Amino acid sequence: MSATFHWTALERTGLRFSALMADDPKALARRLQQRDPDLLDSLIEQYQYRLFRYLLHLTANRERAEDFFQETWVRVLERGHQYDGKWKFEAWLFAIARNLVLDWHRRKKPQSLDALAGTGEDSAFDVKDERAATPLQEVLADEQRTGVHASLGKLPAVYREVLVLRFQEEMQLEEIAAVLSTPISTVKSRLYRGLEAMRGAMTERAGDGGAL
Amino acid sequence: MNSDLHIGAQKLIAQQRVEGITREEEFRLAAHLAECESCAAFAREMEQALSAFRGVTAEVPRGLVNRTQLRVRLRAEELRERAPGRTLLWAIAAVSWALGVATAPWVWRGFEWVGRQTGLPKPVWELGVVLWWAVPALIAAGAVIFERRGRAQELE
Repeated sequence: MSATFHWTALERTGLRFSALMADDPKALARRLQQRDPDLLDSLIEQYQYRLFRYLLHLTANRERAEDFFQETWVRVLERGHQYDGKWKFEAWLFAIARNLVLDWHRRKKPQSLDALAGTGEDSAFDVKDERAATPLQEVLADEQRTGVHASLGKLPAVYREVLVLRFQEEMQLEEIAAVLSTPISTVKSRLYRGLEAMRGAMTERAGDGGAL
Repeated sequence: MNSDLHIGAQKLIAQQRVEGITREEEFRLAAHLAECESCAAFAREMEQALSAFRGVTAEVPRGLVNRTQLRVRLRAEELRERAPGRTLLWAIAAVSWALGVATAPWVWRGFEWVGRQTGLPKPVWELGVVLWWAVPALIAAGAVIFERRGRAQELE
């Protein structure tokens, strides 16, 4: 009885279901073609942090990231039949999100993603530091938060984007190339430049007395 | 001091994180880092920068997930409601196409007869046949374009 209850509860949240689905892109592709809202519900829950973080890096603006977050999922529902399971679902999801941001930016002003670079002034990001328990550690964590945030704000969006996909999303170079619709050589060169720029910006920040 | 050696080591440090390096290169790099303080500092800085970057999280705004789920469900309902209409449109188009093909010889003869009776030049009644075929298709295409434009405006 109890087992049945737990099973039903899990089914309701859809987490177990979507986790299984995400492991099998072909099965996920079939369900997406059916435009199943329950599947979408569970995918939204499952990918909320990753998609929102990616959109924040792209837009450097919380409100805009929220709008694009919603728009991305509506687009996933509408274009679900186009997902063929060739790539991981997250690669397809991020490609949709990216294209929406680029389309919006093109409509606004004809320019590339480079122009989306944030100023580093807003507090869109937080730095997780679970060890910061004491007031002193909290102050240090706060300094670190400001430092990392300011350093990231200095990076052009094209570099931030590949760094997110590689080092936060742990995507393969081929997957990143698919998300960005660019050759792998371009992805690599952006990663090398981005890494160097990030190291430089963070070291400079540390040298100025800020926390790395 | 050979500056190429340091440049090579720093390239390997980045390459290790971007696309990986071979075992041999790993040993070579480790040996260099054990001896060279500046390259070791470079590697430490790189690792610290990456670890700080990996620690960056984004708090999802309260209610965003629920709002999104609701919006997606509403959109799904809307699409479901439109689906029968679209199916009907395709069915009508298919029947119309089949009837068009089946009746083509009679339509041709009919236009030819009208052309002869009225003394119209051949290109004119031939154009009539083309229009007879093209106008319904053009109307259907117009309806689809109109619907898509409406959707695009909704998205805006």
